[in-house]
Amino acid sequence: MEEHGEFLIPASRNEVWRALQDPLVLKQCIDGCEQMTVINADEFECAVTVKIGPVKARFNGTISILEAVQPESYTLKVAAEGGAAGFGQGQAHVQLHETNEGTRLTYAVEGSIGGKLAQIGSRLIQSFSRKMARSFFESFSKQWVA
Amino acid sequence: MKINITVNGAEQAVDVADNALLSDVLRDALGLTGTHIGCDTSQCGACTVHLDGRSVKSCTILAGQADGGEVTTIEGIANGEELHPMQVAFRANHALQCGFCTPGMIMSAIDLVASSDEPLNAEQVREGLEGNICRCTGYHNIVKAVLDAQANM
Amino acid sequence: MNAETGIGASALRKEDARFITGKGQYTDDINVFGQTFCVFVRSPHARAKIKSIDTASAMAVAGVIRVFTGDELTADGIGDLPCGWVVTSKDGNPMVAPAHPPIATEFVNYVGEPYAFVVAETLQAARDGAEAVSADFEVLEAVVDTGTATSSAQIHENVANNQAYDWELGDKDATDAAFAQADHVTSLDIVNNRLIPNAIEPRAALGSYDAASQTYTLYTTSQNPHVERVVLALFVQVAPEANLRVISPDVGGGFGSKIFVYAEETAVIWASAKIGRPIKWRADRSESFLSDAHGRDHVTKAELALSSSGEMLGLRVKTIANMGAYLSTFSSSVPTYLYGTLMAGQYKTPAIYVETQAVFTNTAPVDAYRGAGRPEATYVVERLVETAARELGMDPVELRRINFIPTDAFPYQTPVALQYDTGNYAASMAKALELADSDGYMARKAASEAAGKLRGRGYSCYIEACGLAPSQLVLQLGAGVGLFESAEVRVDVSGSVTVMTGSHSHGQGHETTFAQLVSDRLGIPFDSVNVIHGDTGRSDYGLGTYGSRSIAVGGSAIDKALDKIIAKGKKIAAHMFETTDDQVDFADGQFSYAGSNEPKPFAEIAGAAYIPAVYPLDELEPGLSEKAFYDPSNFTYPAGSYVCEVEIDPTTGETDIAKFVAVDDFGNVINPMIVEGQVHGGIAQGIGQALLEHGIYDSSGNLATGSYMDYAMPRADDLPDFQVDMTSTPCTHNPLGVKGCGEAGAIGSPAAVMNAITDALGVKDVSMPATPQTVWQTIQQGT
Ligand code: FES
Ligand code: FES
Repeated sequence: MEEHGEFLIPASRNEVWRALQDPLVLKQCIDGCEQMTVINADEFECAVTVKIGPVKARFNGTISILEAVQPESYTLKVAAEGGAAGFGQGQAHVQLHETNEGTRLTYAVEGSIGGKLAQIGSRLIQSFSRKMARSFFESFSKQWVA
Repeated sequence: MKINITVNGAEQAVDVADNALLSDVLRDALGLTGTHIGCDTSQCGACTVHLDGRSVKSCTILAGQADGGEVTTIEGIANGEELHPMQVAFRANHALQCGFCTPGMIMSAIDLVASSDEPLNAEQVREGLEGNICRCTGYHNIVKAVLDAQANM
Repeated sequence: MNAETGIGASALRKEDARFITGKGQYTDDINVFGQTFCVFVRSPHARAKIKSIDTASAMAVAGVIRVFTGDELTADGIGDLPCGWVVTSKDGNPMVAPAHPPIATEFVNYVGEPYAFVVAETLQAARDGAEAVSADFEVLEAVVDTGTATSSAQIHENVANNQAYDWELGDKDATDAAFAQADHVTSLDIVNNRLIPNAIEPRAALGSYDAASQTYTLYTTSQNPHVERVVLALFVQVAPEANLRVISPDVGGGFGSKIFVYAEETAVIWASAKIGRPIKWRADRSESFLSDAHGRDHVTKAELALSSSGEMLGLRVKTIANMGAYLSTFSSSVPTYLYGTLMAGQYKTPAIYVETQAVFTNTAPVDAYRGAGRPEATYVVERLVETAARELGMDPVELRRINFIPTDAFPYQTPVALQYDTGNYAASMAKALELADSDGYMARKAASEAAGKLRGRGYSCYIEACGLAPSQLVLQLGAGVGLFESAEVRVDVSGSVTVMTGSHSHGQGHETTFAQLVSDRLGIPFDSVNVIHGDTGRSDYGLGTYGSRSIAVGGSAIDKALDKIIAKGKKIAAHMFETTDDQVDFADGQFSYAGSNEPKPFAEIAGAAYIPAVYPLDELEPGLSEKAFYDPSNFTYPAGSYVCEVEIDPTTGETDIAKFVAVDDFGNVINPMIVEGQVHGGIAQGIGQALLEHGIYDSSGNLATGSYMDYAMPRADDLPDFQVDMTSTPCTHNPLGVKGCGEAGAIGSPAAVMNAITDALGVKDVSMPATPQTVWQTIQQGT
């Protein structure tokens, strides 16, 4: 699974950068996120309930921030365990570019899943992950629009 | 919860778990093991029974949904010693090998024939049985049997 | 002979009476007092080190009785699941087999491999318990691809290059020389797609232990309960052989996948003694997909050397065969002795050289699936022959005809070890062409074209070696068991007969076919013959049913026991006639003697056997019951010609099988109706392989086709009516002249379909399965 995208955010690069590290912001932007706990500045734990096709499952995951180059880019690494439903892991590489209209955020996401989800739902997973990534960055950039 | 269902003509009051499936009730509570379980994604049709006269996959129906309903299983289609024409045709045309898909196949086929106003042709039978998987026969003789039974139903 | 039930009659099946009324007794239909339920906890990873397993929370689930892990089995002395056939590599070394504990201990090596199991009062509690088991895994890089497995991460500590063996057969130098002289070489890169057997009855097991008698009883979905018993007793060491009874009741299809000894039956029978209660397990379909042994999965480079006139001079085949994560029970023999030995096909190709490299990957074990090796071999040979004809501009029928082994060449020694006893390949070809209305083809093609469709035609002339197998030969080749069959014919006082066979029926209809044989030979009513199978407590040690062996080996064993019954009957009759037994004849159910005009019916002799008034007991024992073991002297060689016509819609890529003709030579046939049914089922699986079915693992080793939503099973509207007919050259070395019919359809059909599709598209190759997407893409690429 691989997914790319970009959003134009009407805010300065530094503002966007700060928001990207903010667990509260992250929590709001992750669909179905119920809890976000800070372990340290670069690591959070979260609980997310997702619905993939007919399957609804609660995942416990860790989010870590890697390769941070302030305020230009970082990699968000996610590993989630959904018990009997399976597991997933993924990375989002995010880059911020300054432009005249604000900050252009580009992302490249890749991920994989395993367990029951992969067996029964492999057809659904691709579109699901795409949607999940898109909705994350969409909600993220909408903060400034509203 | 308690449900009341009529199975093969006999009224039954059964205590079932909320998440019990009709197939569980038939097999485990009532011992009607002719209804088979071949998959867990409701795609093989081995569990097909009639609920209020129409064929349904009993693994997709919660027992609670069948409350008050009338269920017929493979064990209930013969008239005493006299087999249903579909049963006769399946045997006469060698439409079964291992027999595992057979109860579901027969139950689907009976409904298929009974609910069609016009006599079915082979292609329609193939389409109509699309929800029942048989791994043994290649369907050739099943189609023959259904066409054969249709003349006697 | 009775016209309705004798040998050669299409007698309706005895077993149907219970199946059409829902009275069959499959393993999951059996319930015993005090029974508990078992659910296996399976690896979600394709390859990982198990760091720890936490069973505490599972134990806390209400209703859970015990949670077992692999370490407990090991500690109790439970052995590995063995592979029963040792194949030797080119360099003289025996194959390398990794350790295969039934329940994983240190590593998991495919998604679905069990690493723990939960026993509970109810199925629901067992499921909840299984969900509560958690393990800490160190995930390792998974190896998935067949073609590159040898150069990937090493899976097992003791298996370098992930290679089980590198085997060869045939004369390499002679074959290279043939290629050097050839006018033309046809070569193909072939992938034989991975298949998932999918018998509609999922595997199941019900194990119980009786402490009072210290006996174990295992009901399970096995094609060969005796082998199951021996392996569990002698290799896995679950129980002493004498104390273990294995029963395969009605079994809902096998197709090979139920030959093998699996982790689950081992676990339930072992654990039933630990908890002192019976334990039942039935696979969910999702589990079947993950844990049943899969089939095929070969990557092959094949070359055929020909003269300019189309004479086949040499054949060179190099195959990589995916074994999955472990060597399943008979897996090693499939891409070798059941594959390389078939490369002569129906042709007199003088030089053949085959190499097979068996590799491990992090996927479910691969073993015999309907045809086992022989469909793969036929696919190689018949795709090559058809392609060669096209390249040489010859009629593919003609090319085959000039290369057929002629009828006067039998017995024919092939360059790849087998000796064919008999056959008439031109005869089945001629009949197939006639049935297929070969002459009308051009008109049909024109009609298709006028309708905007592409029509193509393909042939496949297969041969198989079945009736497994001459014991001494296979033992020499590395097999761990003899492959004879047992039979006991027990005559009742009234003259009715009970037959105990070591064969096992899981759809084949032995209760009918064997009864026909007995009733015909003894001249007694069909209804007075009962056939009993599938219970180690009732029949003698036998080898079960696979490899189209039941009639050729099991039937011959019954026939041999019948000889003994008749011989003894003659002795008894001789005393009644006051003559010697060589003066007594037996025919049509009557013992007769030229000196008497009162023949004695079989039932009267049966009665006399048990009421020993007329014969001296120091010469003749009372009773009439005989046993026989039959060991074949050769394989049998069914062969046939298949013709397939397809019509392809170029706008969607959808392939319609417009015509499918199969003409098989099974030698003598006991019940044509049953035999045709076997052919139908085989063809359906072959068409399934060609058009629909594909077991796919993603790059991290998840089974992407793990349910009926993603694994395309042939359904009624995917298949055509089949035109099936037969020719016959009776087998020369078994008493019935029979060959076996169970696998033919699956062996012959994939090549016929793919030859037709490549013909319609005008391309050299299309990979199986030829889904609409694949076909459409091929059309777009125009290659
Ligand atoms: S068991 Fe109900 S559809 Fe398969
Ligand atoms: S008869 Fe075996 S699945 Fe249909």
